[in-house]
Amino acid sequence: MSIRLENISKRFGAFTALGDVSLEARPGEFLALLGPSGSGKTTLLRIMAGLEFPDCGRVSFDGEDVTGLKVADRHVGFVFQHYALFRHMTVAENIAFGLNVRRRRDRPTRSAIDARVQELLDLVQLGSLGHRYPAQLSGGQRQRVALARALAVDPKLLLLDEPFGALDARVRKDLRRWLRELHDRMGLTSIFVTHDQEEALELADRVVVMDHGVIEQVATPLHIYNEPASAFVFDFVGESNRVPVVVARGKVLYLGQPLDVPAIGADGPSELFFRPHDAEIVKSDTGAIPALVAQVRPKGAGVRVEGKFIGIDRPFEIDVAAEDAPEPGRIIALKPGHPRLFPTHTHEDQA
Amino acid sequence: MIAAIALPRRPLLRAPSVIPGFGLTFGFTLAWLCLVVLIPLSAVFIRSAGLGFQDFIDVGFSARALAAYRLSFGAAFGAALINAVFGLLVAWVLVRYDFAGKRIVNALVDLPFALPTAVAGIALTALYAGNGWIGQFLEPHGIKVAYTPLGVVIALVFIGLPFVVRSVEPVLADVGHDVEEAAASLGANRWQTFRRVILPAILPSLLTGFALAFARGVGEYGSVIFIAGNMPFVSEIAPLLIITQLEQYNYAGATAIAAVMLIASFLLLLLINALQIWSRRRMAS
Repeated sequence: MSIRLENISKRFGAFTALGDVSLEARPGEFLALLGPSGSGKTTLLRIMAGLEFPDCGRVSFDGEDVTGLKVADRHVGFVFQHYALFRHMTVAENIAFGLNVRRRRDRPTRSAIDARVQELLDLVQLGSLGHRYPAQLSGGQRQRVALARALAVDPKLLLLDEPFGALDARVRKDLRRWLRELHDRMGLTSIFVTHDQEEALELADRVVVMDHGVIEQVATPLHIYNEPASAFVFDFVGESNRVPVVVARGKVLYLGQPLDVPAIGADGPSELFFRPHDAEIVKSDTGAIPALVAQVRPKGAGVRVEGKFIGIDRPFEIDVAAEDAPEPGRIIALKPGHPRLFPTHTHEDQA
Repeated sequence: MIAAIALPRRPLLRAPSVIPGFGLTFGFTLAWLCLVVLIPLSAVFIRSAGLGFQDFIDVGFSARALAAYRLSFGAAFGAALINAVFGLLVAWVLVRYDFAGKRIVNALVDLPFALPTAVAGIALTALYAGNGWIGQFLEPHGIKVAYTPLGVVIALVFIGLPFVVRSVEPVLADVGHDVEEAAASLGANRWQTFRRVILPAILPSLLTGFALAFARGVGEYGSVIFIAGNMPFVSEIAPLLIITQLEQYNYAGATAIAAVMLIASFLLLLLINALQIWSRRRMAS
């Protein structure tokens, strides 16, 4: 199923949760809404579900306007952040709930419901736990029950609010992979909310990066990482270093000294961003950024070097090969690779 | 008490625990319960035992006493039932909605706790008497409230309301909004959501409130005697019968009735407790 949002706005009192957001998800797509807390990503998801209604704008499923429809009539699967399982029901009863509340003429027979529940239990790999109560399950198991319950009503659209937020790292990783497989197998359109950029990049077909109630960028994970559209996206997705520079007459000046990087962008005060693994330690300090090393720690195949840029009070982190590791206390010259320049945000711009 | 602290190398009553002070607090609990509850209550039985078996049966189970028990327990049960329904409604409104004057409504709920019960009794009698504000509209339809068992029920409804509201309120507030939303997202309508999701979650607390209101109703004296009219066999409650016996210096007779009430109350509360455990077990915490 395709879903289309047009010019959605939503305010809570004086707070603007969403300001004129438009977005489209294609059938079968797995979309991530990524952003810090307060960015409006959960509100947007709840508007898609019909748990919240926009002040203005339009929501349509497969071209059909559903803006005014309540959640009970939209036939979407919604997985809540804290699972929202019914504590007094067994796992099987939880999963059967959506079928049991149907009107009599639409309701499957008892045995058909039982069969469907067992099928879903097998699907989420909880085959023998149907008689348990939610309190007797682990976090990861509860998450899968919540998913099975949402899938029981055969939704065409699956919405997940921070689906892995409350789980520990290892379970999270397993569940992620499993969810992706499930999505592909069932041919759903899925949209999930997360504040974890790693999760968004690993799982989604496209990532929607949000901040302050607006969409900053919509693109594939690779594109988001390599070609961030704004300073916010660069900063929020992946690790980054940033230094204040001035772009003037085709040169990038750091504390008045020209840096050895291409000046792509408008003249004026800017921020220069680069990834930790794109930096290089160079011998000559002309055209490079001086920095003081504080710590060297192992990371992957190489080492992570941390410290402060000299001249400005900002930390840096870079990844270099183990044999290039400088000693703590040394002053090094850094040459940023694949740098990106964004004009400096003033506070008026953000308001 | 002290022995309980010093003694146990291997405690008898409990498994070893990291929370200290079991001996002290448990000893204190027992001593306190004895002092406040058990000793006075056993005095009732000792006193009534002085009566001899036949006399005990004659006084404790006389026709007049039986009628009084029936009224006391029946009216308390009916009033608690009414309170369970409408107290739940009040709790629902207090938890779910924000409205002007919510604090005032909130304070009003507790008023029956604080008001001297005699005041409540007199006020209710004045309202429901044949010429009272409400009574004058009921009387032409043949509904008599004051000086009938119905009046007893109304007084007990008034007295018992806060028990249900205050028991249910925190539990209802604890039923997450997301659970309701989950039910709605699965296609349940409002009634199904209430019936299948919310009610089972608050049932134990509703039973608690019911039990408290019921227990209070059985023992209530002050507010009832004004509105009941106190006609033997019709609108005379058991506590009043006890007072009547006392006024005739028939202490043994009074304690006999008291002992019967005590046993009946205890059995009923035990039953309600069992119900609670059953409903809580279904929640499988």
